[in-house]
Amino acid sequence: MKIVVGIKQVPETDSVKIDPKTNNLERSGIQGIINPFDKNAIEAALQLRDQAGGEVVLLSMGPDSYTSSLRDGMAMGADKAVLVSSRAFGGADTLATGYTLAKAVESIGDVDLVLFGRQSVDADTGQVGPIVAEFLSVPQVTFAETVSLESENTIIAKRQLDSAVQDIKLTLPAVITVRKELNNPRYETPVNMKESFEKPITVWTEADLNLDPSQIGQAGSPTSVTNVYAPTKEVKKTTILPEDPVQAVSELLGKLD
Amino acid sequence: MDNNEIWVYVETTGSKIEPTSLQLITKAKAIADGRKVVAVVPETSSINAETTVKEYGPDQIKTLVDDHFAHATDEEIADALFQVTDKNRPDSLLFPATILGRSIAPRLQAKLGTGLTGDCLDIYYQDGLLVQVKPTYGDNVMCDIVCPDRRPQMVTVRPNTFRAEKGTGGATEIVQSKFTFHKEANSEVVATDPIINSSSKLDDAKVVIALGRGAYSDKNIKLAQDLAAKLGGMVGVSRPLTDEPEFSHDDQIGIGGASLSADLLINLGISGAVQYTVGIKNAKKIVSVNIDKDAPIFDESDFAYVGDVTDFLNALLKQVR
Ligand SMILES: Cc1cc2nc3c(=O)[nH]c(=O)nc-3n(C[C@H](O)[C@H](O)[C@H](O)COP(=O)(O)OP(=O)(O)OC[C@H]3O[C@@H](n4cnc5c(N)ncnc54)[C@H](O)[C@@H]3O)c2cc1C
Ligand SMILES: Nc1ncnc2c1ncn2[C@@H]1O[C@H](COP(=O)(O)O)[C@@H](O)[C@H]1O
Repeated sequence: MKIVVGIKQVPETDSVKIDPKTNNLERSGIQGIINPFDKNAIEAALQLRDQAGGEVVLLSMGPDSYTSSLRDGMAMGADKAVLVSSRAFGGADTLATGYTLAKAVESIGDVDLVLFGRQSVDADTGQVGPIVAEFLSVPQVTFAETVSLESENTIIAKRQLDSAVQDIKLTLPAVITVRKELNNPRYETPVNMKESFEKPITVWTEADLNLDPSQIGQAGSPTSVTNVYAPTKEVKKTTILPEDPVQAVSELLGKLD
Repeated sequence: MDNNEIWVYVETTGSKIEPTSLQLITKAKAIADGRKVVAVVPETSSINAETTVKEYGPDQIKTLVDDHFAHATDEEIADALFQVTDKNRPDSLLFPATILGRSIAPRLQAKLGTGLTGDCLDIYYQDGLLVQVKPTYGDNVMCDIVCPDRRPQMVTVRPNTFRAEKGTGGATEIVQSKFTFHKEANSEVVATDPIINSSSKLDDAKVVIALGRGAYSDKNIKLAQDLAAKLGGMVGVSRPLTDEPEFSHDDQIGIGGASLSADLLINLGISGAVQYTVGIKNAKKIVSVNIDKDAPIFDESDFAYVGDVTDFLNALLKQVR
């Protein structure tokens, strides 16, 4: 089974802030990590490979620095990696990103399953997985919380909607995006870390993919960001209750109704 | 061909109409400024969602009726919607940011080759364009996004961001849309298990007692449950507590969990991180208990008790009837 996992490198979000004066994103000096949900996707891929044989290929679109996340993913046990990287891809929104990744999956060839995280923690859209599925014309399960191989070419995945749990049967090839609840990603081992430096990272530019230049990068992106700012907080008028809990509660109950 | 309409996708699962879709009809009417508001309702022949949807006063309801919708896959729903949106493209197309909405909208987006902004917290028109306000970086940063040239301008909007109001005046035209349900050969919903109790979900609970890391103890959990039972409410938690055996992700409040619409929320031992507070901004009365007088949660609160959770809960349980 050939499994591709789409991974994105993201800043550690806790430390990203807006400078209230300039409204600029302060992200200098922040280290890039693998998008946490993508580790669940890698883990799922490794488990399926261990069960069915085959290989796990990591795929990322982004700058050179993304190789560090690809190495980390291979240190978890993935077999190889593809980085799609060129200035021509810059400024891509979800549609152009999904299109480019779908083209890369086609170029990798004979792919049975493409896995994604449920969403990236810096963009928080969760759109890329379904967009790739649509461009590849394959079925999808999103937000999967279990994934099990049913036969050589079918998978059953569970997803929870607001009022029901669905079991969805997919005939491969297919796309699945995964929730954190699916599994506990394994740690990198020293042996795998060492080996990750011997595993190949193939770098592709637009010249290596069979694509329509009008559908990539800025040109292929229908949306644009016009403004970035800190969330405004509505400051409430807060009544401070007395220190004694009994008094505090009686004052509260008096004022509530 | 484009038209000057705002379309709202009305999600139906079983016989339930997703409340966010109704909230979006109200919002669409508020920002329409002459545009026609159209509710698009895929449903089975037994649901008749239009009866309820009509009460919210859209200008038109387009139903897509086929019994396959009872167990339709994302591919099938996206295909059906594409058939009705492609030729006569609406100006804007709004989806609830539910699991289903977030799964179908991007597939439809790719078919239509247009822009989509996910999980919006606000939408409004400016200079004829739909400004789509979206949080990123775990709600630490806000972005305004537009889709200048392609149509429809698509968004998914977070549940409970707006309030649904039944409409007044104006007749609603009901149209049955022509389309063909195409069964997808390579995917199938093989089982659907209703989640029992989904009616008492946190999102819709009238009273919520929320426990955070500072309130985590057997005793406080028991007291909070007793209080919730007395007030006819539910217990929810901040994220750290979802790792504890007593709670799960279903109990989580915040960006990755429930968005409350409660009349009364009591926060116990919760610091007030932004990822938590986005989930409580539509709660009407907020009471917070924290030993730290500078805890950020107090900025979001109508009533603040600086002190210990257990003391407060004991006193409250004694005085509430
Ligand atoms: C991408 C991302 C998504 C996230 N999504 C969510 C989400 O959906 N929901 C969510 O909740 N969090 C989320 N978080 C985590 C969030 O940032 C905070 O870490 C979390 O909300 C903190 O939970 P807390 O307030 O319970 O714990 P803490 O921050 O540890 O606060 C505990 C509080 O209890 C008080 N306290 C301690 N003892 C007592 C006592 N005896 N009596 C009274 N007060 C006491 C302390 O003063 C403190 O203020 C997310 C984070 C990230 C990065
Ligand atoms: N640039 C990228 N390269 C590879 N995979 C990506 C990229 N962006 C997003 N993804 C994948 O798509 C998922 C959803 O991302 P997003 O739609 O940005 O929230 C992520 O969890 C990744 O698995």
